Amino acid sequence: MERLLHDTVSLNNLSEEIALRWPEQVRVNPDLQNGLCRMECEASVLTEVCSWLFSKMGYSFASLIVEEEPAEFSLRYIFYGDLENGQVHILYRILKTKATVPSISHFVHAADWHEREAEDLFGLVFEDHPRLGDFVLHEEWPEGVNPMRTDFDASKLYVHREVNPYWRPVRIVQAPGAFMMPIGPIYSDFAESAHFLLETVGEDVIRTIPRFFYKYRGVEKIAEGRTIDEVLLLAERFSGTSAFAHSLAFCQAVEEISRVEVPPRAGALRIFLAELERLRHHIASIAGICGSTALAVATSQASILEEELLRLCCALTGHRYLFGLNTPGGVVMDFSNEALRKLEDTIQGLFKKLEELKKMLSFSSSFLDRLEEVGTVSLESGVSYGLVGPIARASGITRDLRRVLPYSGYEKVEFIIPCEQEGDGYARLRILFSEAKQSANIISQVASSLPPGPILPPPFAVPRGAALGWAEAPKGATFHWVRTAEDGRVVRYRVTPPSFTNWHGFHLAAEDFAFQDFPIIMATFGLSNAESDR
Amino acid sequence: MSKWVLKGLQTGIKTTSYPGREELASGVSPGLPGGKKEPGDEALPVISRCPTHSLRQAEQQILLDYRRCIHCFRCVRGVQGALDWNSGYEWAGSIRTNDDTTPKLGKAFGRSLNILFVDGGACGACLSELEQINKPFYNIHRLGFFITPTPREADILLVAGPVTDHMEFSVQKAFAAMPTPKRVLAVGACALSGGIFGTSFASAGGVPKLIRVDVGVPGCPPPPLAIIHGLLLAVSRKPPASLTFSGSVDGRKNS
Amino acid sequence: MMETGNFLVLFLSLCGIGVILSALFRDRKNPLILAWVASLAAIVILLASGKVLLSGQPFQVELWTLPFSGKLVLAMDRLSALFVFVTGLVFLPVSIFSAGYMPKYLGRYNLKTFGAFYHVLFGATVLVLVSGDILSFLLAWETASIFCYLLVNFEHDREDTTRAGFLMFAMSEAGTLAAAVALLLLVGASGALELRALRAGPAEVSQTLRWSVFLLSFFGFGVKAGLVPVNSWLPRAHPVAPGNVSAVLSGVIVNLGIYGIMRVNVDLLPVISAGPGLVVLLVGALSALVGVLYANIEHNLKTMLAHHTVEQMGIVTIGLGAGLVFVATGHPVIATIAFIAAVYHMTNHSLYKALLFMSAAWVDTTIGVRDMDRLGGLIKRMPWTAFFFLIGAISLVALPPFNGFVSEWLTLQVLLRSAELSSTGAKIVFALCGAGLALTAALAVTCFVKAFAMSFLGVGRSSEVAQAREAPRSMVAPMAMLAALCLLLGVLPTYVIPVLDEVVTPLTGTKAVDALVPPFFATSPQHQELSPEFAAEFHDLGAQTGQGFFPGRGLVVLHRGGEKNPVVFAMSTSYTLIVLVLLLGGTFVLVRGLTRARKVKRQPAWDGGVRRLLPEMTYTATAFSNPVRVVFDAIFRPSTVEDTKETVAEHFRTAIKNGRKEVHIVDRSVFHPIVEFMQSTSVLLGQMHSGSVNVYTAYVIISLIVVLIVQMLL
Repeated sequence: MERLLHDTVSLNNLSEEIALRWPEQVRVNPDLQNGLCRMECEASVLTEVCSWLFSKMGYSFASLIVEEEPAEFSLRYIFYGDLENGQVHILYRILKTKATVPSISHFVHAADWHEREAEDLFGLVFEDHPRLGDFVLHEEWPEGVNPMRTDFDASKLYVHREVNPYWRPVRIVQAPGAFMMPIGPIYSDFAESAHFLLETVGEDVIRTIPRFFYKYRGVEKIAEGRTIDEVLLLAERFSGTSAFAHSLAFCQAVEEISRVEVPPRAGALRIFLAELERLRHHIASIAGICGSTALAVATSQASILEEELLRLCCALTGHRYLFGLNTPGGVVMDFSNEALRKLEDTIQGLFKKLEELKKMLSFSSSFLDRLEEVGTVSLESGVSYGLVGPIARASGITRDLRRVLPYSGYEKVEFIIPCEQEGDGYARLRILFSEAKQSANIISQVASSLPPGPILPPPFAVPRGAALGWAEAPKGATFHWVRTAEDGRVVRYRVTPPSFTNWHGFHLAAEDFAFQDFPIIMATFGLSNAESDR
Repeated sequence: MSKWVLKGLQTGIKTTSYPGREELASGVSPGLPGGKKEPGDEALPVISRCPTHSLRQAEQQILLDYRRCIHCFRCVRGVQGALDWNSGYEWAGSIRTNDDTTPKLGKAFGRSLNILFVDGGACGACLSELEQINKPFYNIHRLGFFITPTPREADILLVAGPVTDHMEFSVQKAFAAMPTPKRVLAVGACALSGGIFGTSFASAGGVPKLIRVDVGVPGCPPPPLAIIHGLLLAVSRKPPASLTFSGSVDGRKNS
Repeated sequence: MMETGNFLVLFLSLCGIGVILSALFRDRKNPLILAWVASLAAIVILLASGKVLLSGQPFQVELWTLPFSGKLVLAMDRLSALFVFVTGLVFLPVSIFSAGYMPKYLGRYNLKTFGAFYHVLFGATVLVLVSGDILSFLLAWETASIFCYLLVNFEHDREDTTRAGFLMFAMSEAGTLAAAVALLLLVGASGALELRALRAGPAEVSQTLRWSVFLLSFFGFGVKAGLVPVNSWLPRAHPVAPGNVSAVLSGVIVNLGIYGIMRVNVDLLPVISAGPGLVVLLVGALSALVGVLYANIEHNLKTMLAHHTVEQMGIVTIGLGAGLVFVATGHPVIATIAFIAAVYHMTNHSLYKALLFMSAAWVDTTIGVRDMDRLGGLIKRMPWTAFFFLIGAISLVALPPFNGFVSEWLTLQVLLRSAELSSTGAKIVFALCGAGLALTAALAVTCFVKAFAMSFLGVGRSSEVAQAREAPRSMVAPMAMLAALCLLLGVLPTYVIPVLDEVVTPLTGTKAVDALVPPFFATSPQHQELSPEFAAEFHDLGAQTGQGFFPGRGLVVLHRGGEKNPVVFAMSTSYTLIVLVLLLGGTFVLVRGLTRARKVKRQPAWDGGVRRLLPEMTYTATAFSNPVRVVFDAIFRPSTVEDTKETVAEHFRTAIKNGRKEVHIVDRSVFHPIVEFMQSTSVLLGQMHSGSVNVYTAYVIISLIVVLIVQMLL
C-alpha cells in the first residue's frame, strides 16, 4: 500500500506555500529542473518548517549535514518525497559564538540520532534534546573534544582520557529489582561489536538500550583532504557488503558536482551489478535468519546459494564483493553481452532454488512460530523514525529510492516494490524473498537489453562544488553528501547509511520480548554496525 | 521435518576438498598482485597509484607488501605496465619470527582448535568471508576447528578490522582472558596494517600495534580459503606464504 | 551430679540474678553481663534437661498449694526435657552473640530493660515447659508472651515495630485465650488441674468435647507456632525485633506452640479418630507451601527467614499430623516414627534458624541494609559469616549430610507410609500433602540459592556494602557452634534417634528405634537376637558397609514389612559425609598434583569485553525470583501500584515505572473478609443509633416486652 500524501503538492506549489506561511523567515530558492527546492531558514521557524514538511506534507527525513566554516556552522536538513515532490534542502546557519541550535527531533524523530552525532562530533548543542552525550564518543572521551572540528588533528591517536568512576549508563526502567543484562561488545560467534543493555525485571526484557559506535573509524573525518579517488576507496570499504551501492551513491554525488553525464551502458551495468549485490545480500540475510532460529538445513541451503553468488561475482568482475568497479562517470570494467546473459541464466537457476527454499520455509511451522509476531514495528513508529529499506517495507512504508528518486536508469526498468503490513519478523523475511525475486527480474531485463556504447565519459576534472548522491542500498536508502575544493579534493564527506537510520528504530522491535528472541530480532533486522558506525 | 532431511541429502556434498586437494573452482579467490620483474620506466606510475603504499621498487623489480594491499586493482586496471596477477589463495604468513622460534601452536592443536573472533572494526566483507568458513562450502569442522564465543576456551584469537579506538580495550581484554598457549591471527589488510583507514584518532592502524600477532592473512577481504590456510598454518599443517613479495632468493620476511 | 531439681533452682536464681544485675549495671556493661549470666543459665538448663533426657528419670516437684486451684507442680518428663534442651541449645549461642550485638543500640534504647526482659523471658519459657499443672502453665505462658512482646517492641520509636508488635501481642492473646478454653474444658471434664491427673482423665469424653478441645488447642497454640491461617503476625514481628530476639523467637518461642499442641493432643487427650490428624496434616502442608512461596518473593533478608519459619513449622506439623492419624488408625510404630521426625525437625529448625538469624543480624549491623537487591559480594568482606550462613542455608533446604535432610527425609518417608492406611480419603490427603512437601523442598532450595547468591556472592549493589566487615570472634563463635551442631545432628542421626525415641515412646506406647536404627550391626548387643537369615539379608543389602572401618552405626532405615522384605528405604548421612570428604579431598589432591607444574593465572570473570561491569548489570534477587512470582501468580495476586511510561515529546521514552504490591494470601482470604464483615455489620448496627430519644425509648420498651414474654414461656 503506497503511503498517501496529505495534499497533492508538487515542488512549485511547495515554494509558494512556504513563501505564504513564513514570508520573512524563510528564503526559498527552487531548482525545479533538478527536482530540488533549497531554502534558508531562521532559528525561530526551523522546527516549524521541518515539522510541517514531515507531518503535513509527508516528506521523509534523509540526513542532517553539518559543515564547519571559519565563523559559523551550516546545518543542512535534507527531506525527500515521491517523484513529483522532489527534495527539500533546508539550510540553517549559526554563528560559532552562539550557544544552541533548535532541535527538530521532537517533531521529526528521525533526526534524533543525527543531532546526537552532531553534538558529539561537532560540539553543537541542540536545545531541548533530552538525550545528548555518550553517543559516538564513549564515556572516557573528555568533554569539549570534538573530532570533526577543523582544529582537531585526526592523524594521530587521541590518548587523553577521562575515566569517571561514577558514570552510569542511561536507565529507563524504574522498577524495584530491575537490572540491565549486558550483551557485548564481544558476544556471539561472528557478531559485530556492539553493546546492548537489556532492561528487565527478570522475565521479559522490557527495553533495549543499545550503545553503538564501537566500530567508529572516523570515515567522514579522514576523508577530508583526500582525493576523490581515495575517498571512493573509503566509500567502498566502510561497509563491504554494500560496497557497490555506497560507491555508486558517492560516484553519483561527484558526477552531480562535475555535471557529467554517465553513458547509458555504464548506467545499465551499474543497475546489473547493484541488483547482483542486492540479491547476494538478501540471500545472506535469509541465511542469517535461518541460522538465528537454528534451522540448520535451511541455513546451509541459503549459504550455498550465497557462496555460489560470491563465486559468480568474482568470476565476472575479479572481486567477490564487487570492489573496484565504480568510478565517477561510469564503471571501470566492461563485460560482453554473452557473458552477462550466461550469468543471468545461472542466476535464474540459483533463483529457482531460492524459491524452493522459500516454499519449504513457509511450511515449517516451528520456524514460522519463532518469526511471527516477534519484533513487530508498527507503521506509525516506522514513519516517525524514518525507517528505510526492507524493514520499512515490512511495516507498510513503500518508499524506495529507485522509484522516488530514480538514478542510473532505474526509471526505464520495470519492477514492483513489495510491501507487507505486519511488521514482524516473518514479514521482513517475506520482503527479503520478494525483493530477491525483483532483483533477479531486473537482472534479466538489463541483461537482455544492454545498450551499446562506452562505459566511461571523456576525462573530466572535478570542480569546486557540493552535491548529494543517493542509492537504494540493499539495506535501504543511503545518502552521500560530497563537497569538493578547487583542486578536486574532498572537503566534507557525509554519509547517512541505511543501517544508521534503522538501528535507531531497533529498540522499537526489541521491547517487551522474551530474551531468547533477541538474536532472531537482530537477524530479521539484518543491520550492519560497520555501516552504521562508519 | 523429514523434508529438510531429504533436501539436505538431495543437495549432496558441496564442501571443498582443500587442504587435501587444491580447490580449482572459479571465483573462490580474487587473487593478489604478483609483483613485476623488470618493470622499466612504467614502475613509478604504477607504484604511485597504490593508495596504501604497498609497492616499492628495489633493484629491478617491484616489491609488494601484501599486508597493505586492499584489492583496489589500481595497479592492474587502466595502467601501463600493469602488475602480474596471481590467482591462488594460500596467502597466510607468519609474523613473529624474530624472538619466538615456534610462532605456531603445536601439533596437539592440529585437529582440535578453538577459535575466538573479535571484531575490531571490520567492514562487513571480512566478517562475511569469516562467516563462510562455517558454511557448507568450506566447513572447518571437518578440520577440527571450532568457533567459541568465550576466550576462556579459545586457543587462537582472530581479529579483523583496524582496531578502532573504542574496541582497543576489549581486544586487549579478550587476549588477556585467554589461557596459554594462545596465538593471534590477524585477518585482512585492515588488521595487518590499518588498510585504507590507516592510523588515525579512531583507528590504531592494525592489530600488531596493540598485541603480538602470530599469523597474518592479507587481502581485502581474504577469501575463506585464505583464512583456512591461515588457521592451518597456525597449527603447522601448512607452510606459510610470504607476506611481502620479495621474489629474490633471500626471502627475507619483514615483521 | 546435682539433682535436676537443684539445677532448676540454680537456673531460676541465675535468671533472677540476671534481672537484678541488668538493672544495676550501666548500659555499656549490660550486654556482657547478659551474655555471661544467660549463658551460664543456659548451660545449667542444658545439664538439667540433658540429665532427664538421657537418664529417663522424670522430675517432679510440688510447689505451693493455692486455695481453690490445687497444687502448683513443676514436672519435667522427657518431652519437656527435650524442649528445654533445645531452648538451652538456642539460648546459649544467642546470649554469647548478644554481647557483641547489643552495643549497636547503645544510646538509643535502654539496654538495662532489655537485659531484664531477656532473663525473664528465658525463665518464663523454661517454666512453661516444666509446669505440671494448668495454672502455672497459663501463668508462665502469659509471662512469656508479654515479655516476648516487650522484647519484640524494643525499637519502639519505629512505627512498623510498634504495629507489628501490637499485632503479635493481640494474636498471641487470642491464641492463648483459645488454648486456655481448651485446657479448661479438659479440666472441667476430669476435675483436676494437674497434668498427670488430666492424663489419667475421664474414660468417657464426648465427641464434641474432643473436637472442641482439639480445634481450640490446635489453633490456639498454632498462633504461637505460626501456622496458617493464624500466622499473620510472624512475618511482621520477626524482622522488626532485634536480631538476637528474632533468633530466640524462631528458635524457641515457636516451639512453645508445638509443645502445647503435642502436650494436649498427643499426651493429655490422645486423638482417637483420624479426623483431627488429617486437619493437622492439611494445615501443616498449607503452612509449608504458603510460607515458602512468600519467602521466595521476599527480598528482605529477615522477612524471608521469617516466612521460612512458617514453612518449617508447617513441616513439623505435617509430621505431627501424620503421627496423629497413625495413632488413631492403630499403627503405633509409624506414629512413633512420625513424632520422632516432627521433634527432630523442630530441633533442627531451632538450630539452623537461630544460626541464620544471627548471620542476618550481623549483616544488618554492619551495613544497615537488609534488602537483598542492595547487597552483594559480602563473602569477600565477611567470609566466616557467609560460610556459616551457607551452612545454615544448606541445612534448611535439607541437603545431606546436614540435619535438615534427616528430619525431612523421615517426614517424607512417613507420608509415604500412607499405603498402610485403609481409608482412601486419608490416603488422598496424605498424597496431596506429600506432594506439597516435595514442592516446598524444591522452592526452599530456590529461595536460598537466591538469598545466598544475591547477598554474599557477586558484586556489591550499593555503596553501603563497602562498610561491611567481618564479625568479631565473640559473634562468630556462636554461629560456629550452631553450625557444628547442625553438622553433628546431621551426621549422627543414629545416635539422636534413640534419644528421641525415648522421648516419644511414652506418648504412643511403642518403641520405633528398631525400625529406624536396626540392631544388626555387629557391634550392637542385640545382634544375637535376630535370626541369622534375617541379618544375612540385611548384610547382603550392604547394611554392614563400612562397619569394618567405621565403628559406629551409620544407617537410618525405615524398616517395614516382615522378614521377607526387611528394608524399604535407607539413608546414611555419616557415610555420605565420608564419601563427600573423600571425593572432594581426592579431587583437590588430584588437581593440585596435576597442576603443580603449571602457573595459575587469576583473571576477572569474562564479561563480554565491557569496560566496566557495573552492579546495575548483575542479576537482582527480584529478578531471580520472578519465575516463581509468575507461576504462582494466582496465589500472590499482586496489585499494580504504578505502571507509567514517561515520554518527552512522544518519542523520547524517559522512564518506564512499574510498581507492585502484594497482600499476603492469608490476610486477603481470612482476615480482610472478617474485618470487612465486622465493619459492615457495625455499620448496619450503627444504624440503630439514630439519635432520636424516642427511638431509644422504643428499644427499651421492646426489649422489656421481649424479656417478659421469654420469662413467661420458660
